[in-house]
Amino acid sequence: MQSRSIYKVPKGKLLKISLNYDEKGNSIDEIRITGDFFAYPEEAIDFLENELKDTLLEKEIIFKKIETIIEKRNIEFIGVNVEGLTKGILMCKK
Amino acid sequence: MKEQWRLLETGYGTAFTNMAIDKAVLVSNSRGKVPPTIRFYRWQPSAISIGYFQSLEDEVNLEICKNFGVDYVRRITGGGAVYHENELTYSIVISESHPRIPKNIMESYRIICSAIMKGLKNLGIESTYIPINDIITNGKKISGNAQTRKEKTVLQHGTILIDVNVEKMFFLLRVPNEKIKDKLIADVKERVTSIKHVLEKEISFEQLSNAIKSGFEQEFNIELVKGILTNEEEELTKKFERECFSTNDWNHRR
Repeated sequence: MQSRSIYKVPKGKLLKISLNYDEKGNSIDEIRITGDFFAYPEEAIDFLENELKDTLLEKEIIFKKIETIIEKRNIEFIGVNVEGLTKGILMCKK
Repeated sequence: MKEQWRLLETGYGTAFTNMAIDKAVLVSNSRGKVPPTIRFYRWQPSAISIGYFQSLEDEVNLEICKNFGVDYVRRITGGGAVYHENELTYSIVISESHPRIPKNIMESYRIICSAIMKGLKNLGIESTYIPINDIITNGKKISGNAQTRKEKTVLQHGTILIDVNVEKMFFLLRVPNEKIKDKLIADVKERVTSIKHVLEKEISFEQLSNAIKSGFEQEFNIELVKGILTNEEEELTKKFERECFSTNDWNHRR
């Protein structure tokens, strides 16, 4: 299932997510995170997208996973945060 | 004696060359080959730059760009899409370890934007920094800024609008209304202003670049000395232009 979301992060930037997900398994097949936010280092976004593959579309699971990746790769987001990313992803679910 | 930084005035360039020069200066500075550098430049043909994380086709009306002869390029910095026409574009490249640059990214935005605001003040324009990356005057955006850090080096570039054709800008760009949902403005077109609009008169690129040059000198307590690109920077520029900024792989990657 192909889906998209546009989410204005409160006091932050505009997050646009394209999601390809498995409806039966309730999990992410492929994700593309775009928008006018900032992330340091920028290249970490590819890593984040890869790591999110096969993740269950459940709030706590996605939140934890993103939090762990940010910590592991020492990523600094500006204009978007873990809550925003999680919300943007779940908004794609029909 | 005041610390001397380099001032580059590279004039008009294509979108690909402009972005390649900024990256070349960053790399050269990170290798310790050149001093901290402020650069002023312009765009010919006029062009759209998009942020590192943006989807090109989501942000830009490619068909209309082609019809207008407007180029487009993906930046190495995050942030939003910008239409570059009648403006001054600046960049600053400086080591992360330089004592005048805060380690904290948001604080460094504030200081560099403060140099721009001092420059605008030199023209009699009062402005305010609005985090994350905007400078506004009379409630409207007059300057947008974007920063990256690579190889322990800071690159921030940004625009100061001299004049703006808002209709054309929003014809070329696709701006969803979600963007201004929490800003209480009915129309995204109401968000932008320019020096011409604020001062109610034309000013030249040279007047503006002189004012901004002084702004940087005041903010950082330095002297800017005119310089040129080194041979190494020229070579790096060609390489980055060829291998990155002019390629579909790079520009269409998202």
